[in-house]
Amino acid sequence: MSLENFTGGRYPLTPHCFDELVTNAGTVRPPAGAIARFIDKHGAPELFKRQQQLNQTISDMGVCFTLYSEGANIDRAWPLDVIPRTIPSSEWQRTSAGLKQRLTALNLFIDDLYNQQKILKDGIVPADLVLHSKNFLAPCQGVSPRYGVWANICGTDLVRDEHGTFLVLEDNLRVPSGVSYMLENRTVMKRVFPELFADSTIVPVDDYPAQLWQMLASLSPRGDGTPPCIVVLTPGIYNSAYFEHSFLAQQMGVELAENHDFFVEDDLVWLKTLRGKRQVDVIYRRVDDIFIDPLAFRADSVLGIPGLINVWRKGKVAIANAPGSGVADDKVIYAFVPKIIEYYLSEQPLIQNVETYLCQDPLEQSYVLANLDKLVVKPANESGGYGIMIGPRATPLEREQMAAAIKANPRNFIAQPTLNLSTAPTLCDTGLEPRHLDLRPFILQGAELYCSTGGLSRVALTRGSLVVNSSQGGGSKDTWIINDEG
Amino acid sequence: MKYQIRHLTEYVYQQPVANSYNLACLTPRSLPYQDVTYTELQIYPATAQRSHYTDYFGNIRHFIHLQPPHEQLSVISHAKVTVMPRGNAARLSSGYTMQQLADYLQQSKTTEAVYARMLCQPSRMVPCTAETAALLPPLQRQGQTVLQLAEQLTQYIYEHFIYTPGFSTIVTPLSAVLAHRRGVCQDFAQLAISCLRAHGIPTRYVSGYLETQPAPGQPRLQGADASHAWFSVFDPALGWIDFDPTNNVLPCQQHLTIAFGRDYADVVPLKGLVQGNGGHQLRVAVDVIPE
Repeated sequence: MSLENFTGGRYPLTPHCFDELVTNAGTVRPPAGAIARFIDKHGAPELFKRQQQLNQTISDMGVCFTLYSEGANIDRAWPLDVIPRTIPSSEWQRTSAGLKQRLTALNLFIDDLYNQQKILKDGIVPADLVLHSKNFLAPCQGVSPRYGVWANICGTDLVRDEHGTFLVLEDNLRVPSGVSYMLENRTVMKRVFPELFADSTIVPVDDYPAQLWQMLASLSPRGDGTPPCIVVLTPGIYNSAYFEHSFLAQQMGVELAENHDFFVEDDLVWLKTLRGKRQVDVIYRRVDDIFIDPLAFRADSVLGIPGLINVWRKGKVAIANAPGSGVADDKVIYAFVPKIIEYYLSEQPLIQNVETYLCQDPLEQSYVLANLDKLVVKPANESGGYGIMIGPRATPLEREQMAAAIKANPRNFIAQPTLNLSTAPTLCDTGLEPRHLDLRPFILQGAELYCSTGGLSRVALTRGSLVVNSSQGGGSKDTWIINDEG
Repeated sequence: MKYQIRHLTEYVYQQPVANSYNLACLTPRSLPYQDVTYTELQIYPATAQRSHYTDYFGNIRHFIHLQPPHEQLSVISHAKVTVMPRGNAARLSSGYTMQQLADYLQQSKTTEAVYARMLCQPSRMVPCTAETAALLPPLQRQGQTVLQLAEQLTQYIYEHFIYTPGFSTIVTPLSAVLAHRRGVCQDFAQLAISCLRAHGIPTRYVSGYLETQPAPGQPRLQGADASHAWFSVFDPALGWIDFDPTNNVLPCQQHLTIAFGRDYADVVPLKGLVQGNGGHQLRVAVDVIPE
């Protein structure tokens, strides 16, 4: 099958970028065969029609996302492109093994930091880097949650380099968002492309909520055999991921609650219900660490449950992710993850990091300052794409300001080469055009390890843009793991 | 010296409040130079639930929860403490120099070194700024030990800053203290910490009490003492050595230690939340009575 057939010869591959669906030679990659055949058969007008159907379905289902900057009109329909991204299952097997390896090592690391601190004493990770991190929470010291696992839910951002190799861009260990969109994208696509799902080589994704429930249940401290009381703790309707909080609670069949629905008494956490108080065993919290208990962390937090940390310290309630796990979600710590994997597992990392320069190191800092026009500079502790400077696209003034910021607080910045993120054909006004994308799989660890089938593919909707974050106006694609192993 | 401590913290509310959650850091800890023979935390109303644990810094923390509506909460910490002489004055010259300390922090793999490196980092209430860092270089001398430098800084703060009760609150930033050259013991301790940490010297905050002497011929006034704060510097050979910039002394038998932390925020004597309307009145009374 040739590119000629695929898009009428007008699909412009981006030089030095791996395309998810089309090879450099212009042929269609095998997992994308079914989509290519569909496009060949029906042509572009049909694609626009299906995109229309898809948008309508999303609007009917109420799948939305909140942008903080849009003032009064806070909810926005979730942007989903009609062309899926395909990955062969054999490749996904290897990738998910690498993701599980990474999370296992990160959890050993976090448990070590809050207990023995062996890795700091051995000098593998510099003590100052960790202990200075605002995500290292002293009140969590000496606690070891069940299975020694702190980050139970991890969203790892993967990108492909120009050769098509997956690299880890960052690990999100605090309150990673996006899995609900992975699930909803699939539901929508099934409605819009029933014929493509009929031949069933697309591996399903819908076991995630059951796996999430099982993982949370495995954390329950109650030993008397009664079913655990699991609750999703949300900051409320103004949070950008509120849709996801309510979606996951609904899918798992558990309560969705805000902080004032809870209280602490007799060293236990209770939920206020119409039938009286009910003991809570597991809290899937979607509130940031420092806000969850005003007594232990930020006293001005109005989102927290006073006394929660005291109950958690005593092991009478499980919190997922455990408070303090954000210490490994720091872009400076990220640079050390390959060493962390070797240290705890005596294994080589199955997925590599993106090359990273630490501005804290004087040598690396001088390299960064001399090459600001080529590098991407990121603040160490932000998420959602805030505060990032993409060197080649920045103005001289922006670069100057960044240089000053780095010199003032080197610990707070890292730099990476500007990556040629992979592209995938995306339906634009003029037809199919390549757009850059990444992939966020979701990995769970409790009694067992689990990795989602594929993940959430996020797409930069502007031509040439590398910023895929949903909070910066990025779109999404359904991610199809295509069974190629018979 | 043997002391009896009585430290009262009392909240009186204009209207009844409920669900009061509190975290206390009021119980003196045992140390090589401080023997704690008796502690008790009395709470009124007595129906309050309580539990305790030892925190990251080794301090004793009490968690207090009072659910029913109440108009008053009193927490009284009682303790009997024996403070031994430390003999630090004679030891300052035998400590590490700046370079030796830096080498030690770079190379040592002990728990103590990791802890010390944490206490070189700025913390929530103690940022390390160019302004605070600038206080130190004029005090540096050839061949001086880190502890002698800390002593110089203690004296400098004592001579150049005016102790002004009521000048600052718990949220007054160091920059204001520096600009006005005024403050209370907490400010002076945190100023010194900021300054020393900016130069890579492990420094921690100490909360405690100071025995005050009544004026000659006057009887001791009840509740006249107050909580006090100073700082402590790490020397690999000698351990943690205390300095009191408010009084320009090396803390010895008049200083009673409650707790250590990165700054005040780690060792707040009593902090809490209540549900309710209306204001409250706070009363604190401290008695440190020599036996």
